[in-house]
Amino acid sequence: MPDLRIDAIINGRKVSRTAKPWQRLIDFLREDLHLTGTKEGCGAGECGTCSVFVDGVLVKSCLMPVAKAQGARIDTVESLGRNELSVLQKAFHKAGASQCGYCIPGMVMAATSALRANPFADREEIKERLGGNVCRCTGYQKIVDAVELARDVVNGRISATALEEEETADGRFIGANVRRLDAPSKVSGALKYAGDMVMANMLHVQVLRSPHAHARIVSLDISEAAAMDGVEAVITSEDVPGVDGFGVFVHDQPVMARGKVRYVGEAVAAVAAEDVVTARRALAKIKVVYEPLPAVFSVEEALRPGAPVLHDYAPDNVTKHIPVRVGDVARGFAESDLIVEQVYETQAVEHAYLEPEAGLAHVDADGVVTIQSPSQNITHHRHMLARILALPINKVRMIMSPVGGGFGGKEDMIYQGMLAILAIKTRRPVRLVFTREESIASTAKRHPSKTTLKMGLTLDGRIRAVEFNMVCDGGAYGLSTEGVMRKAAILGAGPYNIPNLKMDTYGIYTNNTPSGAFRSFGALQAQFATESHLDICAERLGIDPFEIRRINAMRPGSKTHTKQPLKSASLLAALKAVAQASGWEKGPPTSRGEARRDLGGPGNRPSCTLGSRIDGAPGQARDEVA
Amino acid sequence: MARKRGRGMAAGWYGIARTATVDRAGAWAEIDDGGTVKIMTGVTEIGEGILTVLAQIAAEEIGVTPQDVTIGDNDTARVPEAAHAGATRMTYMIGNAVALASRDARERLVAVLAAHWEVAADNIVTANGIARVEGANQHMSMAEAVHLCKSRGVVPVGSASFGTDTTGLDPVDGSGRPWQAYVFGCQVAEVEVDTVTGEVQVLGVWAAHDVGRAVNPKGVEGQIEGAVVQALGQALMEDYKLDGGHTTTPGFAKYILPTALDVPQVNSVIIEDPDPIGPLGVKGIGEPAMVPTIPAVMNAIYDAVGVRITSLPATPEKILEALRAKTNAKASVAAE
Repeated sequence: MPDLRIDAIINGRKVSRTAKPWQRLIDFLREDLHLTGTKEGCGAGECGTCSVFVDGVLVKSCLMPVAKAQGARIDTVESLGRNELSVLQKAFHKAGASQCGYCIPGMVMAATSALRANPFADREEIKERLGGNVCRCTGYQKIVDAVELARDVVNGRISATALEEEETADGRFIGANVRRLDAPSKVSGALKYAGDMVMANMLHVQVLRSPHAHARIVSLDISEAAAMDGVEAVITSEDVPGVDGFGVFVHDQPVMARGKVRYVGEAVAAVAAEDVVTARRALAKIKVVYEPLPAVFSVEEALRPGAPVLHDYAPDNVTKHIPVRVGDVARGFAESDLIVEQVYETQAVEHAYLEPEAGLAHVDADGVVTIQSPSQNITHHRHMLARILALPINKVRMIMSPVGGGFGGKEDMIYQGMLAILAIKTRRPVRLVFTREESIASTAKRHPSKTTLKMGLTLDGRIRAVEFNMVCDGGAYGLSTEGVMRKAAILGAGPYNIPNLKMDTYGIYTNNTPSGAFRSFGALQAQFATESHLDICAERLGIDPFEIRRINAMRPGSKTHTKQPLKSASLLAALKAVAQASGWEKGPPTSRGEARRDLGGPGNRPSCTLGSRIDGAPGQARDEVA
Repeated sequence: MARKRGRGMAAGWYGIARTATVDRAGAWAEIDDGGTVKIMTGVTEIGEGILTVLAQIAAEEIGVTPQDVTIGDNDTARVPEAAHAGATRMTYMIGNAVALASRDARERLVAVLAAHWEVAADNIVTANGIARVEGANQHMSMAEAVHLCKSRGVVPVGSASFGTDTTGLDPVDGSGRPWQAYVFGCQVAEVEVDTVTGEVQVLGVWAAHDVGRAVNPKGVEGQIEGAVVQALGQALMEDYKLDGGHTTTPGFAKYILPTALDVPQVNSVIIEDPDPIGPLGVKGIGEPAMVPTIPAVMNAIYDAVGVRITSLPATPEKILEALRAKTNAKASVAAE
């Protein structure tokens, strides 16, 4: 297909360029015009990070073919606040509305559109108008606060001084609501994440991934792909110069599949080419012959005698077992008046940071292999990469680029090895940017768990014994599984004095997507079980849920389940504070919802408000202010 | 009535910094020309606000403003190791390391000023870009103070390392000191359950969390709000599904995330029970704020409609099935 001619007004300037017919507006803006304030989060119109104005209308630029830009007036986040930040951008700064910042340019565009449509929009209408923009960090509260603040400045209800920094007492900054110093770079779209960075003479990387959950690689032929015009290098596990293995606790994962694949989405080969399209075409020319192997898709299957084995070093498919023992549970249960047993299950969860994985690598003039990526652990990555590359550690340099959301999901070195090897091989800078689909299919998840919890208590609510058995699906590689099991074992029984405890946590290998680090790291799954269980027990004993926790609470000087004396413990203070703040009406948790008198207070949002934009005629709100 | 409300609560605890291993962080500080400050340490923002927190700490410790502080990029070849960005360790490990490095640099500068003014170093106050002698008239800007230092051949630099006194766990009974700082928290959730559609709305969450000492209270709130909403996603809607190892939730059209319309009002209460070990008294908040939310919501659903969801997420389908099972159980009891 012939190139397109695009004549458009972009951010107030006339632009006349050619474009490829397959390009989307976002590609044209980001790759051709280097307007990287417009971010790509999903490529499917679901997340809103790529929002721009086309002829004044809010549009997701990943859904618009560039051909449609012909003759249009397009405004990106870079058009806002060119000399000084716009009122809305200042309000985002003041309210603390940006965290990782990756969704923020799109959010600012959507909010700008919202206030243009109705400068008197109420909180519920603002939320509805931002409904097409996903944020994974903030919980939206401060974003909506910011839009309300900007609305009131714009419509004249309050003075613009409300946007300024709060006064701080003479040099005392610890404890002050100092505005985030990085916010201006985020609300303006100026901050460059790894996927926004370019280097001169840069190649583009694409990764061939396994379509099988468990298979032997019979043969891998890259010759046709490597011979293609525009392809600079194709690498497989044979190109790894040093010890091929990475992981947080056990180095069980090769940079690219070695001999066999263990999950769908595992990297098998990587291509560096002059452009992404050529790299993708080259992937299609790599010939892999697989011999599918029996696979295990649940911990039950993995633990069955004779089950297929994923890793030779772990013939029972157990990645890690962590025990914690206190007292004698048999005696504890014998002393108990009430024994309750229940099974709890949690699912796999995706981190869904808005910034998909991305990285650049190059070899500098001194021969130092340099990798820039949003890695949450460059220290450990450097250690592992030096071994993988067989280089002295000071010949490997890791730079942590701004992270567009991590939540633990960017702790694992799943792609940096490929980038380093390609940079060494081509002696050119290389860049890899994951698609959302690639990110979801190939990167770690929160461990799914199954917990059997048995608790024994006396009639006065004192816990006498807990038996806690948690089995987690760790997926195909170890990653952080050992650490997650450890944290679950240490914290899982909760901040309570338990004289007799038998706690076991197990991470199990399966052919599912690997599980790894995720904010709250095993403590979340385990304490979900314990805290649900305490309410079940409290109901049976007729005790208020705060009271049963108070009765058993660890206090300063209490010993933890790992027999460590606590120097300080604030559980009682937290219980008291939240009972007061919420105006909690005391009583056992007997499903007394209908009889409660503490519901519907001022700390709640209104219930389902969808349609407020349609119901509340904007004209009425305007009259009210005028 | 189709919509029923209820409340539930849950508590939780968490350890600060790396688990069952020795944690450590290093930092360098320089009081630079113009009375500005450079901080070099292995840190980059992952969204939690750490750059601002460290700038606040360095500014207060040295006596400048946060806007005067520049934090170097996290680069294994250029800045000291501060290990990884995770484990709720940033404010605790790196904050304390930066405070100590800042004190070290300030000591160098103040020694020159003390000799210049012929007073004891203890009598010198540095704050907001001004150095002065307590109870006297002598003062100069920090820019002048740095200039003075350099004219005496002194570059006011400092460095520090902050490490933890922790151990691994015994392989048999798990005993050990996995952390030196612990935090505790508690949340109440108020929900509305639609008994016709099975949909659960979380309308309000009250969250009290101990952070040791809040460096930036608004930032702490931001962490709590974000954590509650992320947990709510897992509680009610998020579900990464596989079929024979292939995901059936490959994008955000299938993998459902909370939007602005799904989130409760989050009412944060910050508790400050200072860490008795670190120089600042700070602890952390990133992960612990997520722990009580899910059980609080499940306990609230039980309060509202009498069904106990023990398998996440509590989707409308699961709620309806549980409500049906409850009705059938009642009916069969009545029939007996």
